[in-house]
Amino acid sequence: MLHFIRTITIAGSVALAAGAAFAQDHPDKPIEVIVGYSAGGGTDVMARTTAPFIEKYLGDGASIVVKNMPGASGQIGVTEVATADPDGYTLGTFNLPGMMARTIDREADYDQDSFTYLANVVNDPNVIVTTKGGGLDSIDKLIEEAKANPGAVTVGMSSLGGDDHFMLIKLQQLTGAEFTIVPFKGSAPARTALMGGHVAMGILNISEVAEFQEELNVLGVATEERSDFAPDLPTFKEQGVDLINGSMRGFVAPAGLPEDVRAKLLDAFEQLEGDAEFQEAMKATANPVEVVTGDAFKALTGDLYDLARGVWEETPWN
Amino acid sequence: MYSDLLQALPAVVGFSNFAAVVIGVLAGIVVGAMPGLSATMAISVLVPFTFGLEPLVALGLMAGIYNGAMYGGAIPAVLLRIPGTPAAVATTFDGYPMAQKGEGGFALQVAVVSSAIGGIASAFALMLLAPPLSKVTLLFGPSEVFWVAVFGLASIIFLLGGNPVKGLISACFGVFVSVIGSDPIYGNDRFTFGQLEMLDGISIVILLVGLYALPPVIDLLETPLKTDGIESSQLGTEPIWKAIPRMKGFWKTWLRSSVFGIWIGILPGAGGSMAAFMSYNEARRNSKHPERWGEGEPEGVAASETANNADTASALIPALTLGIPGTAVAAVMLGGLLVHGLQPGPMLFRENPGIVFGFMWQFLFGAILLILLGGSLATNSFARLLILPRPLLGSVIIVLMLIGVYSIHGRMFDVYLMLGFGAIGWVMDKLKFPLPPVVLGLILGGFAEENLRLALRIGRGDWGVLFQNTTSLVLVALTVAVVVGPIVKRRLTDRRKQSGM
Repeated sequence: MLHFIRTITIAGSVALAAGAAFAQDHPDKPIEVIVGYSAGGGTDVMARTTAPFIEKYLGDGASIVVKNMPGASGQIGVTEVATADPDGYTLGTFNLPGMMARTIDREADYDQDSFTYLANVVNDPNVIVTTKGGGLDSIDKLIEEAKANPGAVTVGMSSLGGDDHFMLIKLQQLTGAEFTIVPFKGSAPARTALMGGHVAMGILNISEVAEFQEELNVLGVATEERSDFAPDLPTFKEQGVDLINGSMRGFVAPAGLPEDVRAKLLDAFEQLEGDAEFQEAMKATANPVEVVTGDAFKALTGDLYDLARGVWEETPWN
Repeated sequence: MYSDLLQALPAVVGFSNFAAVVIGVLAGIVVGAMPGLSATMAISVLVPFTFGLEPLVALGLMAGIYNGAMYGGAIPAVLLRIPGTPAAVATTFDGYPMAQKGEGGFALQVAVVSSAIGGIASAFALMLLAPPLSKVTLLFGPSEVFWVAVFGLASIIFLLGGNPVKGLISACFGVFVSVIGSDPIYGNDRFTFGQLEMLDGISIVILLVGLYALPPVIDLLETPLKTDGIESSQLGTEPIWKAIPRMKGFWKTWLRSSVFGIWIGILPGAGGSMAAFMSYNEARRNSKHPERWGEGEPEGVAASETANNADTASALIPALTLGIPGTAVAAVMLGGLLVHGLQPGPMLFRENPGIVFGFMWQFLFGAILLILLGGSLATNSFARLLILPRPLLGSVIIVLMLIGVYSIHGRMFDVYLMLGFGAIGWVMDKLKFPLPPVVLGLILGGFAEENLRLALRIGRGDWGVLFQNTTSLVLVALTVAVVVGPIVKRRLTDRRKQSGM
């Protein structure tokens, strides 16, 4: 029994130490990055992949510790960041449009002015996919069908009030077609339902379908230019539908950072874009990179808030 | 389809992954042998600690513990007439009388060989059935999954045994807990009292640790049971190679009980104790000397012990392919899979074949290892473990529970939640409310609600969507059979009794 207990205790301490796997050999305290999702999820992987590069650009043996505070679709973590000390030792991941939508569809203890905007790092653009053998193998056919039979096309996606949902709203506004939303708990079950032919169409992100091009028709990608991630996939723009939308993930700090700290952090994040090694690491972890820093990132957040607000006024989702 | 199975083998025989199974089996035997500690409890306490481990190490520990605990329960059942786990109750019927006759050693050898056979059969069932089933489950859309969940909820009727009203109340409590959190479609809060931590609903691991681990620990602490145990000299042990020939007449029982255990493992709802009881009764009905049963008939031990190990791996067949666990233990294991980012369902086999098939091998090895690790010498030392000071054990477990639950999300809220469920579990235990229906109600209730609502959205409000294909209709028929079957059976026996008067 004691042997068993010892094993478990060691396993436990290993698990606890795994969160702090960075060397802490410098006098300043480590910088904590709060991730509002579980370890191993998309946002967590993005944060852990980015962290060593930020350490490098901050220099002085800076160390970053990632802390997962999952729950309430990211709201617990982001609230923690918004209410933390603005001393530059607490940063957090920030998801768009989700974090802004949460201020609209729920009671939230933060708003868009609660943060110092450092950098958006990832833009995982939306894609529209349809089931193989369903006959809807082009965006034109899809729109035609949805117009001819309003609501007949079922759309699998992850929960309401996220990027998938706003993408569909944009599609409906652009084309005047009508679809039936089927919100699953996350993208994986939505994709599985598509593969089984239980829904006719799906809105997912490019990183989620890159490996599934044999089982699903990918009709297009919602970006301005073709994505480096899957350059063979056409954009909607090329096909005459002006759809741009995606899931953004980046980093924020609490509002009111001292100016010099803010400048130092921003400088580090600005250097990510030109780092080939960083680009490679992100590609390997299925993270399409799009770096937007500082004020531009803040403006982007404002735009997405307005989009979410607009959708909510027209068609509240709860 | 099965080639993945062979490709997964090298990883499993790697040192750390294999060691995990060995440690798991040993730990499982210990846990099973301690009255009050069960496999469900051990694994739910363990899950939070497996975050930082390699997936196969974590799963290997679980597979080992599950197999080990199902045999370990037989040790005190035979020596003290105290079942170490609920699944070992039927083992006491003949195991203890054997021990009184000085046949205790042989009883434990029968138990270990039978447990291994049941476990091996179950592992094969998982290997053979899960891969083809995972191909089929792609065809299970929301309406089919809804019916699977309803069928599972209906199977809880099997569990209601002694007191149907209490069982139903337990199940309803579980279903109620499943609606806590944001609703699956619109995300509206339900019963969260404005707590952000409640939005995602109640984590199954937290509920299980509270419900299954806390009450027995409190019991451990309040009844320092004196277990002087049986002196090993009284066991009358002989080497296992001499014992095995004495079991040659058991093969029918082994076969029948394996099939029983596997089947009950697959059915959502019933678990080890159910399997053991049913297979004991069947074996007794088919015995040439039913009058000897209960007086120390080794075949009775074989029937019970084969069945309670045969439901281990098979309980993962619906769990891995559909996400619906067959037993409470499988439910905790699902929690363990999710911790490692492994989503059950048809995609799991495609995206993580190494881990899924490795896990299956680990079940097989765990069962085989029982023979080596649960042999007579080991069994003697395990029997001595029963003398450990219980307050020490109880305190250690409580500390592990607190650390483990805290580490899931790194928040005290979960710890308080777990303690709250522990208090509820303790009261339920005292009032003799069964716990498994709560767990199944929580899992299946959530499944049923979410999939019903998805199906109705797909059918745009038309309930006909639930009866649109053969799979759904077959599941509806099964559900009706499960509910109506027992009633019809009772009517028939009543009528027979009357005509016989």
